[in-house]
Amino acid sequence: MIDLKAKTCPNREQRAGAITAYYGKASELVRDVRCGAVKQRERDFQQATGCVLNFYLTTRVATIRDAVMIVHAPVGCSSTALLYREVYRRIPPSEGRPADFDLHWLTTGLNENDVVYGATEKLRYAILEAERRYKPKAIFIMASCTSGIIGEDIEGLIEELREDVSPALIPIHCEGTRSRVIQTAYDAFWHGVLKYLVKKPRQKQKDLVNIASMLSYTWQDRLEITRLLTRLGLRPNFIPEFATVDQFEILSEAAVTAPICPTYTDYLSRGLEQEYGVPYFMYPSPVGIDHTDAWLREIARHTGKEKEAEQLISEERAQWVPVMQRIQEEFTKVLPNGKQVDILGSLGQGRLVTQVPYFEELGVKTPATICQDFDNLLLDQIDGIIKQSGDFDVLVNTFQAAELAHLTRKYDPKLALTCPFQGAAYKREKGSTRIHALRGDSRQWSRQAGYRGAIAYGNFLLQATKNQAFQKTMLAKTEDPYHDWWYAQPNPLHYLRKESVNEPAV
Amino acid sequence: MSQLSELRITSKEGNGKSSATGQNGSRFDKTGVAEAPRYSCSMGGAYMCTLATFGAVPIIHSGPGCVLAQNFGQNFAAGLNGAGPNGNTSTPCSCLVDEHAVFGGEAKLRGLIQSTQELVKGSLFVVISGCVPALIGDDVAGVVRDFQSGDRPIIIVNTAGFKGNSYHGYQTFFDSIIEQLLTEQPKQKGLVNLLGIVPYQHIFWKGDLQVIKNLLESIGLQVNMIFTENDGLAAWQRVPAAELNLVFSPWCGTDAAAKLEQKFGTPKLEFPSVPIGPKDTSSFLRAVAQQLGIPNDQVESVIAAQEFRTYRFTEYVADMVMIALPHAFAAVVADTSTAIGLTRYISNELGWLPEVVVVTDDPPSAARERIIQYLRDGLESAVKPEVIFEVDSHKIRLLLRQHTAQIILASSLEKYIAGDELNAMQVSVAFPVYDRLIVDRTYAGYRGGIALVEDVAAKYGGPL
Repeated sequence: MIDLKAKTCPNREQRAGAITAYYGKASELVRDVRCGAVKQRERDFQQATGCVLNFYLTTRVATIRDAVMIVHAPVGCSSTALLYREVYRRIPPSEGRPADFDLHWLTTGLNENDVVYGATEKLRYAILEAERRYKPKAIFIMASCTSGIIGEDIEGLIEELREDVSPALIPIHCEGTRSRVIQTAYDAFWHGVLKYLVKKPRQKQKDLVNIASMLSYTWQDRLEITRLLTRLGLRPNFIPEFATVDQFEILSEAAVTAPICPTYTDYLSRGLEQEYGVPYFMYPSPVGIDHTDAWLREIARHTGKEKEAEQLISEERAQWVPVMQRIQEEFTKVLPNGKQVDILGSLGQGRLVTQVPYFEELGVKTPATICQDFDNLLLDQIDGIIKQSGDFDVLVNTFQAAELAHLTRKYDPKLALTCPFQGAAYKREKGSTRIHALRGDSRQWSRQAGYRGAIAYGNFLLQATKNQAFQKTMLAKTEDPYHDWWYAQPNPLHYLRKESVNEPAV
Repeated sequence: MSQLSELRITSKEGNGKSSATGQNGSRFDKTGVAEAPRYSCSMGGAYMCTLATFGAVPIIHSGPGCVLAQNFGQNFAAGLNGAGPNGNTSTPCSCLVDEHAVFGGEAKLRGLIQSTQELVKGSLFVVISGCVPALIGDDVAGVVRDFQSGDRPIIIVNTAGFKGNSYHGYQTFFDSIIEQLLTEQPKQKGLVNLLGIVPYQHIFWKGDLQVIKNLLESIGLQVNMIFTENDGLAAWQRVPAAELNLVFSPWCGTDAAAKLEQKFGTPKLEFPSVPIGPKDTSSFLRAVAQQLGIPNDQVESVIAAQEFRTYRFTEYVADMVMIALPHAFAAVVADTSTAIGLTRYISNELGWLPEVVVVTDDPPSAARERIIQYLRDGLESAVKPEVIFEVDSHKIRLLLRQHTAQIILASSLEKYIAGDELNAMQVSVAFPVYDRLIVDRTYAGYRGGIALVEDVAAKYGGPL
């Protein structure tokens, strides 16, 4: 039950029992989470994780095309958003990127004076200035550790201003200290959207499909999803990145909310169903041929397009399955005697539940999965994956570079997928490549979604098995950041405390 | 939103003339409200200095997101740089949450320092505290003091994001090092330190340091770059042994130099920027040589050889300069020292016309008259730039629309504006820069000007 009367969502810890530290079998994790035996625990050695504001809310909200983001914080909290004028510009308008758009954000630049005397007047000035300068349709006001600790009454100010300013004012409670689980950011953002921005439906749009699109799915992924939905006579409503405010307002009018990343979309999907009766599903995502089939069927079921979907699926399969078979054959040639290639991957829970089945489709195996957090939102789906693919190890950690380096050495897979948050883990004798590209990357080889993505991503992984020079050289020629004992002992969670954390009542 | 027409109407708001008061300090309640100011916070500046010290391990005592914010808002924003072996999510961080805000974060920090020293290789550990411990009243210095009696060098840099910007963090970092790490050393003849080049805020910092070092070594000096020296701790410890401190900024690093003079008796010599191109580079070498009593003929022979070679090479870019880029009206949008170095070079060597300079790093008001002089005096161009101090990227955009610059040397925030709105060429030369990878690229020194011309001409491309 989502309580839109509340200022904000509950933290993921409270709402879904989320944890950020675990190492063991997937089956045991699922079992223990079900019976409430898994508790959040702290580490004595910890590396930077990101926070509710600065995992990526600053860079995401700043891309809403006719809104303004105000970060009510010291100047450093919004520095990630300095990319705002360039982030989507490399996508050529010929690929469907609107030619004319202009993004804006402001910081309130909280200083020593403000933390002593309060900064509500400064925020008022910033809101009025944002309206005067940019004439936006919405202003998102992002809270911070500092605004939270000094007790800024953002809601009170907004109530005062609501009559006087025309843009919608949406406070987002993304104080960095509020939660250890950075995925709380998703819920905090969607809470603001549901509470202040989504309008009552004027009319239901039977062909509209809400798709909350992560920054880690690229422009080409949008194009592929659009292509497929268009073939069914449907229209995607991609939010929040690079959307217009209008696209949020009409979320209530859609026929269904479909996932790309279920853990990301969850709060929004539930909220839209509860408030406006928009149906949703959580699984699967359109990654891999089989899951794209299933994803399309699920959407078709809610839009009355079952027949069209079957037609589309059979045409697409006829085109892509033979290509996939060639990729599978190539993978059997990577290791001597056709030995199965193993790939260590994952990132969030969403990728955990898409990668394991997709790798199976490629004919490779997953020795272990890694995810940033783990909660009780996808237990049935993970059960299903274990049934289909067998049990596997799970390391739950939010960007703990030392633990990831440890795990990568321990499993020593043919190919390790990595990202800049994994530190030196990419330096190894065997294969390393990136997990995913980012939204501004409009190149076709960066695709991962839909049928074309399944093929492109398979080829991409194959490429990575063919040359190890960079990571091998870096391993040999640069010093590892950690002392040798770290790799000699068996436990990536060596520094995990025994006792669970004592979280103050919310 | 159709901003274009609307913004043109309101564009008078940014019409600052060359004045030393600028936008700041007008009304306290507005100070700091700005679109996309071009720096991060004090904690970010101190953190970047730590990453720039090879062998130093940062330990960040702060909320959980500060480090990621700096990764994308500092090193990545300064020419797409990765953070190195101890940066980004490899950085130990106490990741404070509400329960620490209630019960205090000192115990967490203590455990983190202990475990970091156990696990992470490093010669110097630098604890940097952010907003949260400052607001909840953690005794961070007290915790660190307990470790300072051990045999592993560790210092505390007491920043908070709300105390200032990245440049403030740079200066706080120097203060902390001077107070906690440096001890009197016997003076070493001919040794100089380089100050005032701020890691990442000066996007060419690595190349600048190396070029200055090579130049000074060519006239017989020994040079301590501090940042990016192979052994960072040793470099810091050698700082008091220098005969002279060189500061390459009219305001940033000058305090540190003054403290070093007071504590260790090291005199300082200030330059408004790193020298760009042969003219300023030769003047720079002569000034340093004079200060340190290096024989004239030794310096002049280096200068003659370097100038011959540089101008002989300039022959190779002359066609592009004369045909593609002649006498361009130019705008410069950059931090103080980058702006000064480039304005002097394009005016005094390339023959361009610097029309407007926007200084984006919020220098203290006491330094502003001097900065204006550096930017307007001693230019060969008949056009002297209007100098504006502005940190708000929206206002900078409006300001540029009042000019008709043909070439804009700026941050990459100006990239698309230059093309779409101003019909001007643009090259990213100042923070933030997202459109080029900058490792040790530099415009400093004899060859630096040619490097600039290469980068500008790459934007022109094509046959004549």
